[in-house]
Amino acid sequence: MDSNKKKEQQEAPAELTSGLVAGASLILLASILASLLFGPVSIRPDRIFLEILNRLPGISLDSGLSTIQEAIVWDVRLPRIILGLIVGGLLAVAGASYQGVFRNPLADPYLLGVAAGAGLGATIAIVSGATNGEGMFDALPIAAFLGSAIAVAITLAVGGAVGRSTSTASLLLAGVAVASLFTAIQTYIQQRESATLRQVYSWILGRLSTSGWDEVLMILPYAGISLIVMFSMKGALDVLAVGEEEALSLGIRPRRVRWIVIGAASLAAASAVAVSGLIAFVGIIVPHAVRLVVGASNRLVVPLSFFIGASFLILTDLLARTLQSPAELPIGVVTAFFGAPFFLFVLRRRSDGII
Amino acid sequence: MASYEPLNIQGLEVELGGKKVVNNVSLSVNSGDWLSIIGPNGSGKSSLLRAIAGIISAQGKVHFQGADLMQTEPRTRAQIVSIVPQIPVVPPRVRVIDYILLGRTPYLGRGFQPTQEDTSLALSVMEDLDLHDMADRFVTEMSGGERQRVIIARSLVQQPNLLLLDEPTAALDMGHQQEVLELVDRQRKRLGLTVLSAFHDLTLASQYGTSMALLVNGKVTKSGFAHEILTETTLKNIYGANVSVHNEGDRVSIVPKRGNRLKGNSNSNDIG
Amino acid sequence: MVPKSGLIPALSRNGNNAEAFEPGRVHLKTNILEVRTSSLLDTQSASRLLPEGGYPMKIFKVLLPLTAIVLALGLMSGCSSSSTQVVATGQATTTDSSQQMESMNEVDVTEQLNAAFPVTLQTPTGDLVLVDQPTRILSLSPTATEMLFAIGAGDQVIAVDDQSNYPPEAPTSDISGFSPNLEAILALEPDLVVHSYLPEDIEQGLSNVGIPSLTQYAATSLDDTYLQITQLGTATGASAGAESTVQEMQQKIDELMDSVDVPDGSSLTFYHELDPTYFSVTSSTFIGQVYALFGLTNIADEAEGAGSGYPQLSEEYILSQNPDLIFLADTKCCAQNIETVTERNGWNVLSAVIEGKVIELDDDIASRWGPRVVDFLEAIASAVEQMTAVETIG
Repeated sequence: MDSNKKKEQQEAPAELTSGLVAGASLILLASILASLLFGPVSIRPDRIFLEILNRLPGISLDSGLSTIQEAIVWDVRLPRIILGLIVGGLLAVAGASYQGVFRNPLADPYLLGVAAGAGLGATIAIVSGATNGEGMFDALPIAAFLGSAIAVAITLAVGGAVGRSTSTASLLLAGVAVASLFTAIQTYIQQRESATLRQVYSWILGRLSTSGWDEVLMILPYAGISLIVMFSMKGALDVLAVGEEEALSLGIRPRRVRWIVIGAASLAAASAVAVSGLIAFVGIIVPHAVRLVVGASNRLVVPLSFFIGASFLILTDLLARTLQSPAELPIGVVTAFFGAPFFLFVLRRRSDGII
Repeated sequence: MASYEPLNIQGLEVELGGKKVVNNVSLSVNSGDWLSIIGPNGSGKSSLLRAIAGIISAQGKVHFQGADLMQTEPRTRAQIVSIVPQIPVVPPRVRVIDYILLGRTPYLGRGFQPTQEDTSLALSVMEDLDLHDMADRFVTEMSGGERQRVIIARSLVQQPNLLLLDEPTAALDMGHQQEVLELVDRQRKRLGLTVLSAFHDLTLASQYGTSMALLVNGKVTKSGFAHEILTETTLKNIYGANVSVHNEGDRVSIVPKRGNRLKGNSNSNDIG
Repeated sequence: MVPKSGLIPALSRNGNNAEAFEPGRVHLKTNILEVRTSSLLDTQSASRLLPEGGYPMKIFKVLLPLTAIVLALGLMSGCSSSSTQVVATGQATTTDSSQQMESMNEVDVTEQLNAAFPVTLQTPTGDLVLVDQPTRILSLSPTATEMLFAIGAGDQVIAVDDQSNYPPEAPTSDISGFSPNLEAILALEPDLVVHSYLPEDIEQGLSNVGIPSLTQYAATSLDDTYLQITQLGTATGASAGAESTVQEMQQKIDELMDSVDVPDGSSLTFYHELDPTYFSVTSSTFIGQVYALFGLTNIADEAEGAGSGYPQLSEEYILSQNPDLIFLADTKCCAQNIETVTERNGWNVLSAVIEGKVIELDDDIASRWGPRVVDFLEAIASAVEQMTAVETIG
């Protein structure tokens, strides 16, 4: 009986089972909870628990928290956690999608000039002092997003025009070229405007900023659209894995899938960068880790990356807030600290021929 | 079941780098037949097959079962014609069962998730191809021969009416060569599959094909039956090889002849 | 490139961060620079230095990324070491300049300014001898600019850096005090360059050509400020002006301190904001020191361990501390004011916000250590007064 079941499991195709989803959701919930309960300011976790219950409809409790403590939990921690959830999820899914499209496990969502474009846009906004509009119309995220969009558009136009327009290699090269150009311009502006240097640099290192819920609201529509598209393309990515010719012979349209996925993933990465700066490594570490556990099928990797990416960023943000309490570390530093050793680990496995 | 309309190729042309690698090819293959395409390296066999499969750009018409495959959209076309590539892409960390189930792509719904039926079909094809208990292994971990059979399994699982094989036996030992080709032949007879294959090995080409076409520089120079095309003179002219041809009914075996090819005696040093 | 721990921002929009690039390095040039103002630059060599119509893009492409990298490294290493530097040399300068002042008073200074020259100044980079009174001063430090004009040496200043925006009549140029261009400096033919930081190669370039450069690092206490003003007086021949400026400052500050009554036993807490991502200053900085004069407690001091004196505080920490006073030094750079602070999520529960104890400062005044530091003190004093007034009433 047992060996039959085992055989069944072995022979079963890759599938996103409800078990996997449940497990991933649990991890996410645990991360959210941990981040709510802990922080540089110690507030009794049991009181926070009561407060959470209190906020549920129909329940009214006195949690014993002071007004300021309540403000910390609901107005400072929670928006930040939710933003981290969205940004982490976006970057991880975008990373998984890019890796599927380019058939390269080292592709990251910043590849086609997203990062460089956002950096330039943000620098221009900061330097011109336009960074403090009203909440949702704050110029900085908009400028960063526009910068990303323009950079990616140039990359796609140039990379697509060169070569036979189906070659991913020319896209990648174009991305490198565009990124170098934009970075050069950004560095030039940055060093010219010494007064704002710290602001620019601080933005570049990444930060889950918390002007309340503004960033969350701003990013929500883009996050929603791009996630829906990327999720719907996960199966097609599996087919793309055998190359464009074979994928075509199997009945999908590889070029169309490629553009759609690149478009959605770039949108996801650009909007993440626009609100939180350049948080590196999430797009690479998380899909890789997921693949090590559940295998390479994008039908699993793409959705699970969302949960794990969200959890990862929420937890690294918790570290960023508390490691040097009450000072903050830029979150890009913490993710890089995890990223670099992980990269080495992955490279070792590659050279062993395992990946 | 397949319909009885023949495969009708008209004026097929493929241009690569300014050169016509498939030059105005017209062929007809009866439904349920097996056409062996032979020709020296670079004659365009692979491009011809890929053009018929619709995966490279080409001019001309490919009529099959009431439709022009060149005008059919990919998903429908993939349910009709399947191609076993010469050099397949093998993605890392993909399990055999998942890889073979990619062949069900043209039949799957939005989520591209295979059903229980799809899985059973894949498993039975694997049995036929001597791939028992390999479902969970990575394709990259398989030997050359096993891998070739896995790829053929994928094509068969696609349930095509037209099967295109591009040098399908290159990596296989004799036993597995026979096994695979016998399987394809059985499917062909059972399901009325039409098969086109490009062959390196002329003996195999004549043994399994029901008709043959000789492709030289992108043009069909001879077509008909194996014993008509495979003559010692033709082979000498086309391949530059000295062979002796042995006919067994309408099957032919080709045996290379040693001797006159190398000027000088057989004691010369460069003979292994 | 991954910075180590925390991000240490530049000191101020002043951008003059003395030891940022070479932490702990002590300049031990002991050679005395002799300068003759008349033979500074060969006019021919000057024109050779300046290409027509500007600077070739090649220089930019190499200098800029390098500068950026160096800047980045510098920002990482912070500027805490500068305090030790200045304190050490500050003490040395005290004895010397006061001795000098005494000897100068013995000579008749008021009529013959030139009789005061040559002067020897003790600087962190060694002794600096000025042979003649400088009349073509280039200031690359906004604070030094303010000091020069305050002491009455403004007429001797031919150019100031692009960030020197006070006083309005200061001749602002395009030269960046942060990443200056040597050729642009030389083209002005200055006979004295005053700065709070210069890259090594610029220093070298100036000394090669024989242009004296006076280094005045960012102050860490009011005493440093007085010393620097006095030194500038000596350097420019405006000693009298310097003396009176210092005296005025001291007087005003004493008045302010007297007028403010910090109640015993109660210590008001405050938060000083450098930018809307919650960068602040600890008491180890000049700004922090100024607040300390009033006996105020800085909530950022908890984060001293994080590095230089400029930690980035976490928002929830600021809220939990509920500072009595909030000082905004990002009103100009980042458009922060009472309204924007009130709108921040969760900040409306802070007592400082509720009771209107959010004080908007001028970014420049709150970051420079020149004569206008008095204005800074004034702002703090009035805030403290209001607090204590409320307390005595309530």
